[in-house]
Amino acid sequence: MTRALWLVAALGFWGSAIAAQGVMVAPHAVYIDHRVRSGSVLLYNPGTEPVEVTISTLFGYPTTDSTGAIVLRTVDAPDSTLPSALAWIQAFPRRLTVAPLERQTVRLLARPPAGLADGEYWVRLVIAAKAGTVPITGVSDTTAIQVGLALQVRTIIGVAYRKGAVATGVTLSNLRAHLLNDTTIVTQSRLVRRGNAAFVGTMHGTVVDSTGATRATFMSPLGIYFTMEPRIASTIAKLPRGRYWLRYEVVAEREDLDPSVVLRAPTARDSVRLVVP
Amino acid sequence: MKPLTSLVIGMALLVATVPPVLGAQGKPLNVTGMHNLTFGAVFPGVPRVISRTDPANAGQYDVGYSKFAPIQITFALPAVMNGPAGATMPLVFGANDGGYSSPETITSQVGFDPRVAFATTLDKNGRAAVFLGGTAQPLASQRAGNYTATITMTVTVLP
Repeated sequence: MTRALWLVAALGFWGSAIAAQGVMVAPHAVYIDHRVRSGSVLLYNPGTEPVEVTISTLFGYPTTDSTGAIVLRTVDAPDSTLPSALAWIQAFPRRLTVAPLERQTVRLLARPPAGLADGEYWVRLVIAAKAGTVPITGVSDTTAIQVGLALQVRTIIGVAYRKGAVATGVTLSNLRAHLLNDTTIVTQSRLVRRGNAAFVGTMHGTVVDSTGATRATFMSPLGIYFTMEPRIASTIAKLPRGRYWLRYEVVAEREDLDPSVVLRAPTARDSVRLVVP
Repeated sequence: MKPLTSLVIGMALLVATVPPVLGAQGKPLNVTGMHNLTFGAVFPGVPRVISRTDPANAGQYDVGYSKFAPIQITFALPAVMNGPAGATMPLVFGANDGGYSSPETITSQVGFDPRVAFATTLDKNGRAAVFLGGTAQPLASQRAGNYTATITMTVTVLP
């Protein structure tokens, strides 16, 4: 029922969007099974002008930089040490025009090499949408200089190809937490993926007081492809002065994905002291 | 036909028209250019500065996806606009020309540098607005004609 309601809501949103440039992309993550070797992505143009769409692929995966920010690391020419499907997953068509209020499907076709080992292989799909000519703006009567900027919107989504037995898990260590201000808690931990597939899950944080009562909760989706140390800032209610425990869990669950594509894995847990001075 | 029956049939038809892929693997991602960065009147030798908080002229791009989803926003910003006979007009973007707003209002932005990648997390509604300002710097001897360039915004789903 929840899914049905969501679909109806999505359709309602599509129908109400006007005067926009860009395309709606669904799903935001594609999982292809080796037995099927194909997938698809739906594009919808909610605007009033045709949108020219170009499809391309790249290899990249989320990681964290020195500050703990999650970034996409791209590799132009992935070697055999990386689980890349860049060379053998193709999208069709690569160029298309989506008419206003119309939808089109982009097919993904996999031609994996013979003898491909069991595991999960990644590629990223780049959907570049450019609306028709953007009107030139400016005042030509007095200056004869007219300025017009065109807008291109690119959306990059993940594609995962799974062959045979795939498994994942995560190891959690070096958890730390502090309050940035009265209502912002910052957590960071080292997360190392195990198995032969990305860990796609959710971080849940719970702040409990000395009596064990829950004083705050927060969460954030996570995708752990290799190793990362995400710095996550979350808004919480103001805590009275005192000592607390932060309970930190990384679970293999995602609200935004169908459970059938989320690989099961043991929950990783840790806790750390949190002092409010 | 009773209203409730009509509603149920209507919902069933709506669900049936949606390709299976939509429901099977997650919510759609919507990145939309709502308003283009607009410089309006441009005069030779007079820089035209558009603030990201200018409701009439700042660029606005809306993102709709999943609650608390981490995304990365990057811009490909042109250094010049191309005009007639090879003429160009400089276009400058500063460290505070990008704005991010979870409530999707131009008055509640957090500034960021649009020249570098900006990683963020969507709010509980899974929606945000990105604003962009900039400066056109026509030369005193700027050749008359039409000047154009393309701004590209990329939204990457990180998980």
